[in-house]
Amino acid sequence: MSQKKVKECFFCVNQLEVDYKDVRTLRRFMNFYMKILPGKRTGTCAWHQRKLATAVKRARVMALVSSTHK
Amino acid sequence: MSKTKEIGANHYEILFIVPNNFTEEEAKKISENTEEMIKKAGGEISYQEYWGKKKLAYEIKSFNHGYYNLFEFDLEGEKLAELDRKLKLSSDILRHQIINRKKRSQKEIEEEKNRQEKSAKKDKEEEEKTDKKEKVVEKKEESEKKEEKKEEKKEEKKEEKKEEKKEDLKDLDEKLEGILDSSDLL
Repeated sequence: MSQKKVKECFFCVNQLEVDYKDVRTLRRFMNFYMKILPGKRTGTCAWHQRKLATAVKRARVMALVSSTHK
Repeated sequence: MSKTKEIGANHYEILFIVPNNFTEEEAKKISENTEEMIKKAGGEISYQEYWGKKKLAYEIKSFNHGYYNLFEFDLEGEKLAELDRKLKLSSDILRHQIINRKKRSQKEIEEEKNRQEKSAKKDKEEEEKTDKKEKVVEKKEESEKKEEKKEEKKEEKKEEKKEEKKEDLKDLDEKLEGILDSSDLL
């Protein structure tokens, strides 16, 4: 059995707060269909994953991010 | 996190969109009006940002563009509901969102600005890189074409025509988007 790489939380490592206006960073936690990726895949910790989910939803309301791909 | 609510003013952040049927000057006036509205309700504005005209991610009430405005202010929690209702009723504002936020010091604001500038720079650099790559690819294609010409002229012509058609369509799309972005559709 090969050991899997331990992914680190992007926000914990860079000491950033999750911001719904920062579309660039939000986009890296979403897939092509604009769905929010699971924390298991991106390595985001549970605490930040919760913040991230609300941030993405806020960005969708303000039309900063679309809720589907065209 | 303390369970008891702080007495006095809370810190909020509001982001709102002014639709595209106003000119930029009118949009600024509307933002000033909302500023007054917040002040009348008893709020103190601590931070202000104007993002300018931006493309919406999706169509809202048949508008594709809007002017984004951001305010941070202190306001008593009881008066927030009324302000929210007023903003909802006003026809000048396409959409707004008020959010609870921690108060930031001047240092933190400056740090965030620096970060934003850096990310903006990165965006520009990446755009330039992609442009260059496209150019290189085009050059390669041209050189390949020349080699093919010597070998098979007839097939080459057909392929060229097809490619030209595709390029034409791409150009048209780009032009259309450019026109839609630049013109203020009333």
